[in-house]
Amino acid sequence: MIEPAERLAIRFTVNGREVAREVTARRSLADFLREDLMLTGTHVGCEHGVCGACTVLVEGRSARSCLLFAVQLDGATVTTIEGLTPPEGLSPLQQAFCHTHAMQCGFCTPGMIVVTTELLEKNPAPTTDEIRESLAGQLCMCTGYVNIVRAVEQAAATARNATGEAA
Amino acid sequence: MSGPWVGAALPLKEDVRLVAGRGRFIDDLGWPGMLHAAVLRSPHAHARIRSIDAGQAFACPGVTAVLTGADAARLSGPIRPLIPTTAAVPDYCLAVDVVRYVGEPVAAVAAADRATAEDALELIRVEYEPLPAVVDPHEAMRPGATLLYPELGTNVVWHDTLSYGDVDGAMARAHGVLRERFTIQRYASTPLETFGAMAAYDPGTDGFEFWTNDQRPGLTISILAASLGVPQSRLRLSCPDIGGAFGNKRRPAYLLICALLSRIAGRPVKWIEDRVENLTALMHACNGVMDVELAYQADGTLLALSVRDVADEGKNLLTPTQHNLIKLGNIANGYRIPAIRYEAWSVLTNKCPSGANRGIGKPFMCFAVERSMAILARRLGLDPAELRLRNYVTAAEMPYTTPPGAQYDSGDYPATLHTALERFDYAGWRAEQSRARQEGRLLGIGIATSVEPAGTNLASYELVTGRRSVSGSAEAAMVRMEPDGNVRVAIGDPASGQGYETVIAQIVADELGLAPEAVSVARGFDSAVSPWLYLSGNYSNKFSVTDVGAIVGAARLVADKLRRLAGHRLEIAPGDLDLRDGAVVVRGAPDRRVAFVELCRTAYADVLGLPPGEAPGLEAHHAYQNPLAAPVDADRRVRSQLVFSNAAHCCLVEVHPRTGVVTVLKYVVVHDCGRELNPLIVEGMVHGSTVHGIGAALLEEFRYDGQGQLLTATFLDYLKPTATDVPEIEVDRLEHPSPFTALGAKGVGEGGAIPGPAAVANAVEDALAAFGVTVRELPITPEHVWRWIARDKNP
Amino acid sequence: MKPAPFRYARPHTLADAVELLSAGDTDVKILAGGQSLVPMLNLRLLRPAVVVDLNGVPGLDRIAPDPAGGLTIGALVRHAELMAAPLVVERAPLLAEAARHIGHPAIRHRGTLGGSLAHADPAAELPAALVALDARFVLQGRKGTRTVLATEFFQGLLTTALGPDEILVEVQVPRQGPGWGFAEVVRRSGDFALAGVIAVVRGKPGPAVRCDFARLVGFGVGDRPVRFRAAEDILTSEHAELSIARAAAAVTCDPPDDVHASADYRRHLARVLAEDVLGQALERSGARRRP
Repeated sequence: MIEPAERLAIRFTVNGREVAREVTARRSLADFLREDLMLTGTHVGCEHGVCGACTVLVEGRSARSCLLFAVQLDGATVTTIEGLTPPEGLSPLQQAFCHTHAMQCGFCTPGMIVVTTELLEKNPAPTTDEIRESLAGQLCMCTGYVNIVRAVEQAAATARNATGEAA
Repeated sequence: MSGPWVGAALPLKEDVRLVAGRGRFIDDLGWPGMLHAAVLRSPHAHARIRSIDAGQAFACPGVTAVLTGADAARLSGPIRPLIPTTAAVPDYCLAVDVVRYVGEPVAAVAAADRATAEDALELIRVEYEPLPAVVDPHEAMRPGATLLYPELGTNVVWHDTLSYGDVDGAMARAHGVLRERFTIQRYASTPLETFGAMAAYDPGTDGFEFWTNDQRPGLTISILAASLGVPQSRLRLSCPDIGGAFGNKRRPAYLLICALLSRIAGRPVKWIEDRVENLTALMHACNGVMDVELAYQADGTLLALSVRDVADEGKNLLTPTQHNLIKLGNIANGYRIPAIRYEAWSVLTNKCPSGANRGIGKPFMCFAVERSMAILARRLGLDPAELRLRNYVTAAEMPYTTPPGAQYDSGDYPATLHTALERFDYAGWRAEQSRARQEGRLLGIGIATSVEPAGTNLASYELVTGRRSVSGSAEAAMVRMEPDGNVRVAIGDPASGQGYETVIAQIVADELGLAPEAVSVARGFDSAVSPWLYLSGNYSNKFSVTDVGAIVGAARLVADKLRRLAGHRLEIAPGDLDLRDGAVVVRGAPDRRVAFVELCRTAYADVLGLPPGEAPGLEAHHAYQNPLAAPVDADRRVRSQLVFSNAAHCCLVEVHPRTGVVTVLKYVVVHDCGRELNPLIVEGMVHGSTVHGIGAALLEEFRYDGQGQLLTATFLDYLKPTATDVPEIEVDRLEHPSPFTALGAKGVGEGGAIPGPAAVANAVEDALAAFGVTVRELPITPEHVWRWIARDKNP
Repeated sequence: MKPAPFRYARPHTLADAVELLSAGDTDVKILAGGQSLVPMLNLRLLRPAVVVDLNGVPGLDRIAPDPAGGLTIGALVRHAELMAAPLVVERAPLLAEAARHIGHPAIRHRGTLGGSLAHADPAAELPAALVALDARFVLQGRKGTRTVLATEFFQGLLTTALGPDEILVEVQVPRQGPGWGFAEVVRRSGDFALAGVIAVVRGKPGPAVRCDFARLVGFGVGDRPVRFRAAEDILTSEHAELSIARAAAAVTCDPPDDVHASADYRRHLARVLAEDVLGQALERSGARRRP
């Protein structure tokens, strides 16, 4: 019989590296990533799951890190914006974001990269509507979304050209 | 000076770090031993504080310091307002004796972490004696209303009438006078990053160090120094990357709370606002009511505009009347209106303090004026575009001064509108609208145009206070060519998404004949390093008007020195020398040149080689004020803002009559911000500001109940537009440079937030034309639409 | 906004989970998807002493066919699975459609069927859909297992038939016929509905369009899913000519007044949407000839 505890030991994989820590039960994954692991690329905008700034990949699927407790992730795999950025340079999607100026203050951007990375993996040729739909859970207060949509379209087109597939 | 970089759509340097999550925002920073603060807030809109007992909180394990209002009043001085009230009303960083809005800070705790601090807050026992709350501004204005500040004798912080030209005469001889009342809601731009502050007291120097995402460091440092009782020279304030500001990020009280906690605790203290705190207590744009009287000739020529404007400021003792003043300065909205009268009330209520949200009152002003134009067009049977074209100030008349004193510097308002109508395919959509009506679909087309000012001349405050204590608009910049020939730049204005690191590099690169890669612009702000003035900061679109002047000035001082040093070396007059590709070059003899690194060696290392009278170094500071700023004149006219961009918005909506749901199908903006320093940045601003306008029109509203409780305190209830709520914003441009700014650029940050609400409202009204609906209030919710339609069916 | 302190347990068996719920009289909350629970914890609207994480209990996320043509869905099935699983799309397409309207992908990757049902937000899609499908819920408690009809499970605002020691473990959905409709009005896609209506009908073939089975359920228009029984009666009445308009007009409910919409407006939406979904349902069932 498991005894509920206020502090627990957890061990899980973040961006391909194993981490082991003891944490309080109420510590959110977002705070754990940012403060315990110094992975400050994931941002906190609301703590009620609406704005999407805190979105990371858990077991390869997007999830709100402000609505997960670190203790829940024992044995799991988490990928943050730091894990989606290559050791040198930027990913093609990130390059597209820069090319179209798909950010202004940059606070929503890591979350945007997470969900659009996920979109393009599942759907390499999304329509504009599908792109907007995939962004609908991510608030941006600066860009009006126009250039973000353009970035995803550009990244998708670039990827298709690279693999020689017809547009 | 024209070069290859200003005007280029250069991808942004800062985007490279932001897209990788490598920005450094306030919550990413820390100091060793730092504590985390939480703020206890009033649950009442208006109440007397009978007692506060923080003993249990202080005893909580992990809690190091506790601060109450009484402590704040003892340990600090009142917060000095920017626009003071008639009688001095002391306002501290925590409520003292009385709370005046739900969410007002009452006490604060510093603890090992934020969760512990919040636990401790629950142990603070406050005894409140609730008082009647005044929530509606008209209620607040009534004699006998409950007063927020009995010592003021009123809740009306300002009431005045400013009259220019013979308004009554014009009304008397007019063919007609349109009279309408418009109402706007409270809303805010809500940057995604909330406000935050870090403070560290150094007992060794009796000084403080701050980090914050406050967007007006000049003003804030002054307030902090005065309240803390230390000279400004013993304060250091820095700004990191800022996650959006839009006028919202200003609240010296929170820095004071951290500073006082730090002094008590002997350790640095950080406080990060959470979203509920942000929506409840940081700042809202004023809600209010505008009564418009518009006198016109039979052909639609405008004769006079008379406005009564009630602005609900909540509990704003820092900058009340700001919305009124900005509206007054912009009220003609690009039209030739010979006589204007403006009667303003700035009213305190028991609600969140108002603040300089994106547009500062202009969205409402534009809503009132552009809605009036739409209604007038219908009344006269004129096409709404035609009515506007008959009344625009034309390019030939510029510079043109409006009755209250605003000077339109350049622009072709008719051309902007024509271009927008063409880009939108106005004729095509009118035809489509008819066709769709046959199928029972309600499409609507809305037009709204506006001027967009840049730069603020604070002398306008004299209209309220009766004396001049702040005035003009100024910024300072530092340009330094370092010993290695690369350039470092810093300004007193901290960026919050406007791409300063790139556009400033473009400007300086052109001035110095370098590539932007060779120019490094300091991130954020550091009072010990950045040049800054009291008026430094990010507000009122001032970058193009003021900051650019300072940057160009400083860069030219460095350029001049490079020419003098090279001229001395080459024995050529400096006037015959150009700066190109990292060298000073003789004009017409390009192989006669000296590389910058050579000149740097002389300037920094081999200083005996300097020309006589020339000091070492290649660094210049320049502080700049735009010469358009002038005092209020004898007729109470003032250029409260300095140069004017303009825009025309065309919007297509569909209204679903059974549910009232409004969908924005198409949106075109044609704007003219003069010379575009970086079109990529400019276009992004237009997109984002327009979406703010659409959000204000259709979704966003801070709603209070009759007791002053905020009903919309999370993003579940306060609705922001998402990517599926707005279409692509199609943008085109005209470029009429300003004759009055260093590079001809004008403002672009507030942009679409100003005419956006009016354009959407006009489109909805157009869609509901068959039902005789007049849209007089915002936001336009599906329920409102349903009721308007139903009212027509059952009047 | 950080939660009040709590103790956390992640049992590996259902029995252990039930045991944790029943231990003492401390306030215990089940954590499944967390998309409804955690915001409330963060806002300190809920302050349980113990949070029991159900995600470690195996076997609760299965979707399986049942011999009668319906399916059983485990309580931990995520909304994302509900949307996409071929079995659901084939045997209960209404559920797939309802799940599509919940939040956004990141929410759907975590949010669970069981969590949504146990939370019982009156504006949620899935509770109403399962009432419309006459589903049954399997509850596991200390005294064993029991089955409750969906219509009896939702008892009031955020209130269900779950006892303090019970966990919803499985949903049994009868085979759904082709006749169904779904419509809601939201301020923004993914939001909770201002109002929504779901129709499940089975049409009797014949010259006059009639139904022998009709469920018309509203969400966001009461303190729980609301069956519009008067409307259902009109649809199935032997002696009445089928009239969608009449059925819609017979829709009555007592919706809430809140910051997003008034009761009047919600009542109006209920009627409008009822018309829409009945039209959809009859078209899908082939019982309605297109003009």
